[in-house]
Amino acid sequence: MGIVIAVISGKGGVGKTTATANIGLGIAINNKKCVVVDFDIGQRNLDMILGLENRVVYDMVQVMDEEAALKQALIKSKANENLHFLAASQTKDKSVLDSEKVEKLIAELKKSFDFVILDAPAGIESGYEHTIEFADAAIVIVNPEVSSIRDADRAIGILDSKSAKVKKGEEVAKYLIINRIVADMVESGEMLKSDDILEILNIKLLGKVPEDRGVIDASNQGKPVILDKKSIAGQAYTRISGRLCGQKVDMKNIEISDAGLFKKIVGIFK
Amino acid sequence: MQSKQYSIKVYETTITDEKKFIDFFNSNHTLFKDHLIVIQGELSSTIQEYLENKNLKYLQNMVLPKGRTRKALEKELKAEKTDAAVSQQITQNELERLSNQLQNNLTVLDEMIRSGKELSIEGDLLLLNRVNSGATIITTGNLIITKVVEGAIRCHGNFMMLTASPKANIVFHDVEVDNTLLEDRLNRVELKNNEIIITPVLKKEINWAL
Repeated sequence: MGIVIAVISGKGGVGKTTATANIGLGIAINNKKCVVVDFDIGQRNLDMILGLENRVVYDMVQVMDEEAALKQALIKSKANENLHFLAASQTKDKSVLDSEKVEKLIAELKKSFDFVILDAPAGIESGYEHTIEFADAAIVIVNPEVSSIRDADRAIGILDSKSAKVKKGEEVAKYLIINRIVADMVESGEMLKSDDILEILNIKLLGKVPEDRGVIDASNQGKPVILDKKSIAGQAYTRISGRLCGQKVDMKNIEISDAGLFKKIVGIFK
Repeated sequence: MQSKQYSIKVYETTITDEKKFIDFFNSNHTLFKDHLIVIQGELSSTIQEYLENKNLKYLQNMVLPKGRTRKALEKELKAEKTDAAVSQQITQNELERLSNQLQNNLTVLDEMIRSGKELSIEGDLLLLNRVNSGATIITTGNLIITKVVEGAIRCHGNFMMLTASPKANIVFHDVEVDNTLLEDRLNRVELKNNEIIITPVLKKEINWAL
């Protein structure tokens, strides 16, 4: 039986889909069977970031409505055979989802995969609620800025009240990824420190991802940045995927810029 | 404690002429045998020696309690008693007033109030956690929050206790509280004559985390 992880953020544009693609691929590289599911019905883009847009034949809604078999709809990634993808419908909208269908689909996916990763839509509407309803854990993506943190806080609040697990009296594990950190902006106080974010959200830190210009190009090309060994964001996703697979990976402090580090080293010799 | 109480006779005098004093004592010293001699003012060594030779007990420069009549004493005792009774009544009234203010259906919570949550409480609330931006807390009674508030607060009680919360929106009895007046410790917020009064609760800061 696999574990179901919802990737949520509340606010749009903070890097949910990019994170989902990279974490999914990272887990697959660690030799675990993983499926990533795009729950953003009507606005799918996980297929593009994974470079699989031309391979989508059947989507998740057709599987739920039994118009297609799950096996037909699952797309194997070119980058790693452990990674599978289930697309969202681009033509329907969020109202087609209902709890029973979602539960059945997730139960089926759990049988054949170690990790089921659900890419939640932005916002806190019904589409979001269906994504988190049957999740065992959630990964919360934030950017180090106040609006993203407040929206994430709201999303966590809904998760804590609407998840099926919480209704049974259990707890949904919640992990935080702080995305797009710019070290010298943190140093100069223009950007929120991760300690401050953790104090507000009060959930476990899974990882910090630095701002990296390579991410946009990687998305455009459909090759997740984790495949680029030189990319600092890619390295961060490798560490995060390792942690999710149970490895002990030390938290790297990416909030010190190279210039800052140099100053510190010079300071030692003064 | 063991104690005895008895009255003694006291002869009080001031010496101006030592010779006269000695003469007087020589002729009357049997009379002073059971008296306590109190010398006010100067006491020379000659006199000291003389008194010791005669085996007389003496004290120097002593203000002695003057005897009072029984009636005066009783009157004083009675006044003391009424004073004590009055001050006790005042303390009792004060305590009653405070407990009336406090025990107003108290809710104690130790959960983080996240964005989007509206917490409405009938009575008093003691919250031991933070209130995040976008959350709202409404109480009909008093409100005590021991951690930082970044959301909105609507309190209709007799008082609020808050720590420094520069991002909070605080409304107390429909009056907006200037949160820059909240110091970095627990502050009491009260309304007196339609004016918000903010005072520190304790001189020393308490660490609630311990």
